[in-house]
Amino acid sequence: MSSKRRLSWAVIVLLLIFSGVLSILTGPGGFSYRILNQVLLFRLPRVLVGVVAGGVLAVVGGAFQGLLRNPLVDPWTLGVASGAALGAAFAIVTGTGSSVLLPVFAFSGAVLAIALVYVLARGRGGLTVIRLVLAGVIVSFFFSSLVMLVMVISHRSLGEAVYLMMGSLTVVFTRKSLGLFVISAILALAGCGWLMVHNRELDVISLSEETALSLGVDVQRLTRMVFLVGSVAVGLIIAWTGAISFVGLVVPHLVRMLFGPKHSQVLPGSFLLGAGVLLFADVLVRTLTPTGLPLSVVTALVGVPFFIYLLRTRV
Amino acid sequence: MKALTAEGLSFGYGNELIFDGFSLAIESGEFLGIIGPNGSGKSTLLRLLNGTLRPLRGVVNVLGKEINRLSRKEIAQTIALVPQESFFAFEWTVQEVVLMGRNPYLKLLERPRQEDLNKVAETMKLTGVQMLATKSINSISAGEKQRVLLARALAQEPQILLLDEATSHLDLAHQVALLQILKILNEQGKTIVLVSHDLNEAALCSRLLLLAQGKTIACDIPAKVLTPDLIRAAYGLEPVVTKHPCTGKPQVLFPPI
Repeated sequence: MSSKRRLSWAVIVLLLIFSGVLSILTGPGGFSYRILNQVLLFRLPRVLVGVVAGGVLAVVGGAFQGLLRNPLVDPWTLGVASGAALGAAFAIVTGTGSSVLLPVFAFSGAVLAIALVYVLARGRGGLTVIRLVLAGVIVSFFFSSLVMLVMVISHRSLGEAVYLMMGSLTVVFTRKSLGLFVISAILALAGCGWLMVHNRELDVISLSEETALSLGVDVQRLTRMVFLVGSVAVGLIIAWTGAISFVGLVVPHLVRMLFGPKHSQVLPGSFLLGAGVLLFADVLVRTLTPTGLPLSVVTALVGVPFFIYLLRTRV
Repeated sequence: MKALTAEGLSFGYGNELIFDGFSLAIESGEFLGIIGPNGSGKSTLLRLLNGTLRPLRGVVNVLGKEINRLSRKEIAQTIALVPQESFFAFEWTVQEVVLMGRNPYLKLLERPRQEDLNKVAETMKLTGVQMLATKSINSISAGEKQRVLLARALAQEPQILLLDEATSHLDLAHQVALLQILKILNEQGKTIVLVSHDLNEAALCSRLLLLAQGKTIACDIPAKVLTPDLIRAAYGLEPVVTKHPCTGKPQVLFPPI
């Protein structure tokens, strides 16, 4: 490994540790041993949720980008995030928000969304960048509206709906829901593991579908599995955090700039950097205003300029 | 032994059939050229032969085995395709691109072994791109890219090499160099199928298939295919056909313009 590469790995690991520590220290009362109980009960789970959410979103974003050879796709632009949010909304308004149905509904919504985008975008001439992003945006809008509708007609607060669509790491765990979250997290991490195991096939398919076929990759199976595994993983996370934008889009790019396009580097790097970035965004969210903000407010403020930069230079 | 056979292939994009009951047999060790006007189905035929496209009807056999019974990896260990051009969405280095040619030989999670790296170094040397190894694939010229794609195809150690207008971006010297490499590979026993728009390049093949609108106009030695009558039939053009002063092979010249 070159020294530049080693330094880059060190930087993203340190960023994650720094953000994690900062996250533990931030909050009412700062940090002291007097409130250790409170820290262990509220802030430590928050850090865990942040690490898993940021990591999973970025890994899935990186895998989607490689699969579709397209720098603009991620779980959010492909509509997966809003599909998951809609699933979660259904669970919440039907009173099953603290049961196993929450993650199940959320990942079902995510899979439904990606299937819809896939069908809409697949026309004559195959999947194109424009069709995919357009289909993703349309599905996103549609599902976001449905989230609002479902929440409001069930007499839920608009605030709750907004947090569902724009994300937050504030998860109040009961003993039961903590267990469910841990299971969701383990499954989502297993999904990321599956994607990482298939890193070389993702490398090959990131050249072109035809090239991948002639180099021995079962393209149809790989495409379906990456969509399925990625959406389920994202759905399992968004069930708890709501839809968080731009982490899955921006982070894999930054990692590619550091390590090159090999998915054996991009995916693990995205996990670490995604986790670090999301924890840091969460610290900003909690300190910028006294009342707090949805996470996507901060991630989008940083992500949109980056998206425009990509649009003007890479597409 | 037949390297590749196609029996009764039918294929079309949308409603229109390009091929309807098309058949072809390619001998092992043969150097077959496929020529024909734009849209005659040359590239489509290559993709039917390596299973990238599936025919509506008919079968393709690879070394006597039905292609549908082979896994993608087994096909990729036998047949390699050099595409006309390639777009790279990410900044791969030349060596990384060539190394992907070893994918058919690697298991899940298996890292490239020394023999894979040796093979890659060997094919890069053969095609003259070893100096570019660490360069970004997007920073090299179109001609260099095409030689990189040939190196990747050769890294697959295929018995059958398909080339889709692989010399179209090359200057004369690089075109001749690539044809020399193909000749050597052919003498070593590899079966080569070359789709080309350059009829004089095609004249170097041992046999020529002349296609027009998915139908075989002629399939024979170059001297019997590159005739004014057949070229007129396929291209609707009155060319001047002469003989190469050194090799005696047919040469097709522009008609007076």
